[in-house]
Amino acid sequence: MDSRFFTEHSSTKFNEDLEAIRTTTLEMGGLVAHQLAQALKAFSSGDSGLATEVIANESKVDSFELEIDHRCLEIIARRAPAAGDLRMVIVCMKMASDLERVGDEITKIANMAIKLLESGNLKMGMHEVKFIGQQVTNMLATALDGFARIDASSYGDICEREQEVDASYGSGVRSLVTYMMEDPRSISDAMNMMWTLRSLERIGDHVENLAEQIVYLVEGKDVRTEG
Amino acid sequence: MKLVDNVTEHTIPKDTVGTPFSDNAEISVRNVDVFYGEKQAIHNVSLDIGKNEVIAMIGPSGCGKSTFLRVLNRMNDTIDICRVTGEIIHDGENIYAPKTDVVPLRARVGMVFQKPNPFPKSIYDNVAYGPKLHGIASRRTDLDEIVETSLTKAGLWNEVKDRLHTPGTGLSGGQQQRLCIARTIAVNPEVILMDEPCSALDPIATAKIEELIAELSTNYTIAIVTHSMQQAARVSNRTAYFHLGHLVEVNPTEQVFTNPDHALTEAYITGRFG
Amino acid sequence: MTNTNLTQRQIIEAGLKKRYRKERAFKAAGVISIIFGLSWLVLLFGDIIGKGMPAFKSTMIQLSVNLDADDLGIDPEDATTFNKGNYDRVIRNAIRSEFAEVKSRGDRRSLGRIVSSNAGYDLRDLIKENPTLINTQASVWVKADSVVDDYFKNYYSPQKPGHILTDKQLIWVNDLIDRDKVTFQFNKGFFTSSDSRDPESAGVAGALKGSVLALIVCLVLAFPIAIAAAVYLEEFAPKNRLTDIIEVNINNLAAVPSIIFGLLGLAIFLNLFGMPRSAPLLGGMVLALMTLPTIIISARAAIKAVPPSIREAAYGLGASKMQVVLHHVIPLAMPGMLTGAIIGIAQALGETAPLLMIGMVAFIVDIPQGITDPATVLPVQIYLWSDSPERGFVANTSAAIMVLLGVLITMNLSAVLLRKRLEKRW
Repeated sequence: MDSRFFTEHSSTKFNEDLEAIRTTTLEMGGLVAHQLAQALKAFSSGDSGLATEVIANESKVDSFELEIDHRCLEIIARRAPAAGDLRMVIVCMKMASDLERVGDEITKIANMAIKLLESGNLKMGMHEVKFIGQQVTNMLATALDGFARIDASSYGDICEREQEVDASYGSGVRSLVTYMMEDPRSISDAMNMMWTLRSLERIGDHVENLAEQIVYLVEGKDVRTEG
Repeated sequence: MKLVDNVTEHTIPKDTVGTPFSDNAEISVRNVDVFYGEKQAIHNVSLDIGKNEVIAMIGPSGCGKSTFLRVLNRMNDTIDICRVTGEIIHDGENIYAPKTDVVPLRARVGMVFQKPNPFPKSIYDNVAYGPKLHGIASRRTDLDEIVETSLTKAGLWNEVKDRLHTPGTGLSGGQQQRLCIARTIAVNPEVILMDEPCSALDPIATAKIEELIAELSTNYTIAIVTHSMQQAARVSNRTAYFHLGHLVEVNPTEQVFTNPDHALTEAYITGRFG
Repeated sequence: MTNTNLTQRQIIEAGLKKRYRKERAFKAAGVISIIFGLSWLVLLFGDIIGKGMPAFKSTMIQLSVNLDADDLGIDPEDATTFNKGNYDRVIRNAIRSEFAEVKSRGDRRSLGRIVSSNAGYDLRDLIKENPTLINTQASVWVKADSVVDDYFKNYYSPQKPGHILTDKQLIWVNDLIDRDKVTFQFNKGFFTSSDSRDPESAGVAGALKGSVLALIVCLVLAFPIAIAAAVYLEEFAPKNRLTDIIEVNINNLAAVPSIIFGLLGLAIFLNLFGMPRSAPLLGGMVLALMTLPTIIISARAAIKAVPPSIREAAYGLGASKMQVVLHHVIPLAMPGMLTGAIIGIAQALGETAPLLMIGMVAFIVDIPQGITDPATVLPVQIYLWSDSPERGFVANTSAAIMVLLGVLITMNLSAVLLRKRLEKRW
């Protein structure tokens, strides 16, 4: 769908304000995507320094959310936005909230990565982590790309991937349970791996929310009940 | 910044988009054109105004919304060069039929104007004028009752009951406008037309009028023209968007203000022109 | 900025002085104009008041008259005979008895002339009012002749040339003064009597009443017709060529010289309809014709000034056109209409020319009792007096002008008050 276009608002300042929350949300999305990549890289490369860095950067994500909330509130209070403008403001706020939760999950993943790297036992469930990690990374990138282009066409794709993520998460959990039953000594590591998977699955959920917000932004339709 | 999905151009649609028709219509407007001399002010408007609904008409200046409102009780008759074609059905009769008399029509479709315009008479006489005119009440006690109920409905009784015989023009702007509303409902109309009733009022007075509109909507059908989109959003059930004499879109107010169907509506609502 | 040496602020400040100077000059021009106008007004009023004030006073001489019925030649029982009495002889005898030493025929005649030639009529009126005085010796105050009056008003003095009191008359008058038999008092007669050949007896009552009657006729005719015309033209008439022509003609009529209306009255009312000449009815009709356009124009302006919002409100409640006009437009336009009417009437009050054409310029001694009696009006009276040679009429002319101005001021004041009273805010 290539029908989006920019027209000047009769108030330039209003225009700038709306542009600002959109770009800030995109920046936040970019930061979160980067954090996710770093956290996953910590697993694959075995570099716990990356995980530490991710944890340190969490506060940046939080401050992005605060900034977006603040700006959106100001627009609502001052401008009483309507129609597309209103949806943009609401969607930015909700996306910031979802992205912040994604950031929280990434921090959890980074913490698990540090613990698992310490124990050195990274074999269990690693396949699922890689697969789901790949999927959610793609999903997040697709969602942010859709938001940047004001394009809701990738929503179906994201939903499909999310279901794959769920399936993969289920099989990962089953295999980890098997490990735990076979070797009770591995329970601690398996649990950490399970938390990692759990976080990745939650990220998938949040990214699906983002995709739903984008549909609402573009089409004005609420697709949440359908999903 | 502007989002448009299914409509890609700023073109006036051939037919009104959204839901202009209703199963429970108080007034049915069909294919109405209005001309001022050679100039066409309204182009082929069809719209139902539902019973007990508040319908807001919005649009940029000169879009024909006020003209359309005035057509509904033939206030445009006072302008010599104004000509109306099409049908406006109220209570099964075309109000523009040759046999329709405007005097009873205006008693049934009342009007409140932009500027509060009480008569330079007492508050009591202002409200009693309509009933006296139409012979609804001739006895003093009946009139007293009508005056009291009308002022009560208009939320003005408590403020003026001790000075009913002081001039209506001595009230504040907001009170004057409520007096005008009381004067209109004193003849017990079915429809009240309001032409930018708050444009001369301060925000507090405006809020009172808006509250009053909400109360009145339980008994009356209200069509309100407003240049304040926020007011339309606050008071109406449905919103009609006029553009250059065309009725572009009619939809439930909530939809119009979150996700209008037409790009022109969106552009106007979000303040891109007008 | 083009001039780099001066800042913008300096440029503005440099220009300020010039601006203020111009402003002061502008104000001064206005003040000078007003002072110029006012000084002429003061001069005019000063002249009129200075000349007119003496007319409000008159010189009275006290005489002891013997009101013997036989001498008077009247029957005390029959009031109808009072008019035929020889009052002049009684007066003459009374003045002669004051100066018993005057014997010669010429001196006696000269002595008789210090009393007004109308004194006999005043005495007759006194007896009519008070018949019990008959057959008594009564002390009455009678008017002095205008030459004596003029002497007291210092128009003439022995030093000034042209005085027409003879030396002997002067001695007698001074003798009367010494005996306290002369007073100088308010001239009530000026307001109660009508025109006369003698300035000391002439009054404005006839002309004033004539004016009032003519104006009442004028108002009764012109006001309703003008209002009806104005309401029709403003509210009902279609806007087309015909109404445009009517409008132009009404405006033209307002500027037509008033004498034309007099000629019209002469040709139509007098010659065609044969209405009574010199009557206030006729005068009022001619004045009505003349004031109609003025009232129509101001009434239309007043109707135009009724805010459209009031009309809309009434139409919105379902009032018919006539109801809107009767309930709202006319009551709201009424103050303006009345002001217009009063201005028109005031204009009519001062009008002379058309009335000359219809014979209201006659010398009429009786106060008119109705609108068909011959009468004159104030401005015509002023015109007539200003033409009279007697010195006393100069004062009378100015005094009549003062009365006319007084009536005008009263009317204009009432216009303002009426407007204040009726005016409603919207």
